[in-house]
Amino acid sequence: MEMVKITLFALAVAAASAYGKDFSLTIGNPVAVALPDGVVKKKDAGMAVRVENCADVAKAQVTATAEGIVNGARRSVSVRLVAATTPGAFAVSHDWPWEGAWLVHLTGHCGASTASAVVPFGPNGFLRESSKFFPRAATAAEVEAVLKTLSGGAQ
Amino acid sequence: MKMPDEKPPLGPIEPGQLPLEKAPDAIWRSIEAALDARDVRDTRVLPRRTSLFAAWQWAAASVLTIGAVGAWYATRPELPSWQVSRLEGSAAVDKIKVGDWLQTDGNSRARITVGDIGVVDVEPNTRIRLVAASPTEHRLTLARGEISATVSAPPRLFLVDTPASTAVDLGCAYKIKTDESGDGVLRVTSGWVSLEWKGRESLVPAGANCRTRSGTGPGTPYFDDASESLQQALAAFDFGKGGEESLGTILLQARVRDTLSLWHLLSRVEPRDRVRVVDRMVDLVPLPTGVARERALQLDPATLKSWREELAWKW
Repeated sequence: MEMVKITLFALAVAAASAYGKDFSLTIGNPVAVALPDGVVKKKDAGMAVRVENCADVAKAQVTATAEGIVNGARRSVSVRLVAATTPGAFAVSHDWPWEGAWLVHLTGHCGASTASAVVPFGPNGFLRESSKFFPRAATAAEVEAVLKTLSGGAQ
Repeated sequence: MKMPDEKPPLGPIEPGQLPLEKAPDAIWRSIEAALDARDVRDTRVLPRRTSLFAAWQWAAASVLTIGAVGAWYATRPELPSWQVSRLEGSAAVDKIKVGDWLQTDGNSRARITVGDIGVVDVEPNTRIRLVAASPTEHRLTLARGEISATVSAPPRLFLVDTPASTAVDLGCAYKIKTDESGDGVLRVTSGWVSLEWKGRESLVPAGANCRTRSGTGPGTPYFDDASESLQQALAAFDFGKGGEESLGTILLQARVRDTLSLWHLLSRVEPRDRVRVVDRMVDLVPLPTGVARERALQLDPATLKSWREELAWKW
């Protein structure tokens, strides 16, 4: 009986760690998501995000903030996420100003697992190649480093 | 006059039994005078009555007609119109009605407020017409020049016709320019646009462009940051005689993000070349779950749609 308990516990830990290990965020063009109201809101979307390898995507949570520097001043703006028709996928609303240097800091949770992404934006949209992805929450220093690079070190 | 002496015969009188007597001239003169008088009345009085009656009829009809037209004019529904404001130079109008043309000169820019769904900025040397402004269709014709549209509305509500395409808004912001023959380019800055022409359709997401050509319609969309050689090869494939050589360059130059262009080429290449396009796409992005290679090669619409939606995560 003890062996059975140990085996079940080991399997549960292995499964959890498998999910936790692979849990991540994927970013994409806003056209990748279908929104409940149709695509009308895509005009206001800066990008799309979805969770990957989450056992229960319906319960996955993603939050976002926009971090920026405008005229030398550091600013932070909360960003709305619009749930898509596909569970676990969201449109990221472009709620930050167009002037200045901005990035979006995304944090996702799936059960006990956390993943994050720091996505810089240019004049024509998000910069995929410069984006950073973490299998955990990004630290404040990591966010500031991307912002500093984006703004040309003029922080 | 002397009367005969004999008595009148008894019984029926036979013709010729009565003597003929000539009427006095005075009687004939009075009869003729009476007839003359009647002829005068016939020719002068009766026609005057008829003509007066007709005149009244005409006058009444005219008054009624004028009144009806006036009432219709006063109460007629206004033709739908959009506000126009000057951005630069001179703008001679403050609104544009359905059917109206708006034309800017080389130094003028104007802004059209598209109902309550967005704005269209009209660049210099542009000629544009408002075709429809109904709750179900907002449509402009861009004869030549350039406009920037920013629209927040249900898909397919706002449309812009050019000589070689129709830009169908799917919730977006974009610029489109064309010359009078239809040669032009669309650039999408937000959301996406469907560029359509005689059954040919190009879906252009934010960050991408699509050329149009007279007689051909929309070409293959490509991203701003696609290599110059890929862009040139696409132009040669779409509108020139690039054929095999162009396709080779496109496949060689394509990056992950350029699967946007490759996806469109699937239905535009010769069947024998389709396998090459699919192979290159799978090299760049593994075939997603639920998308069968064979179905894609057969251009199954549902399969192509699923594949496009998955590829969009890489765009």
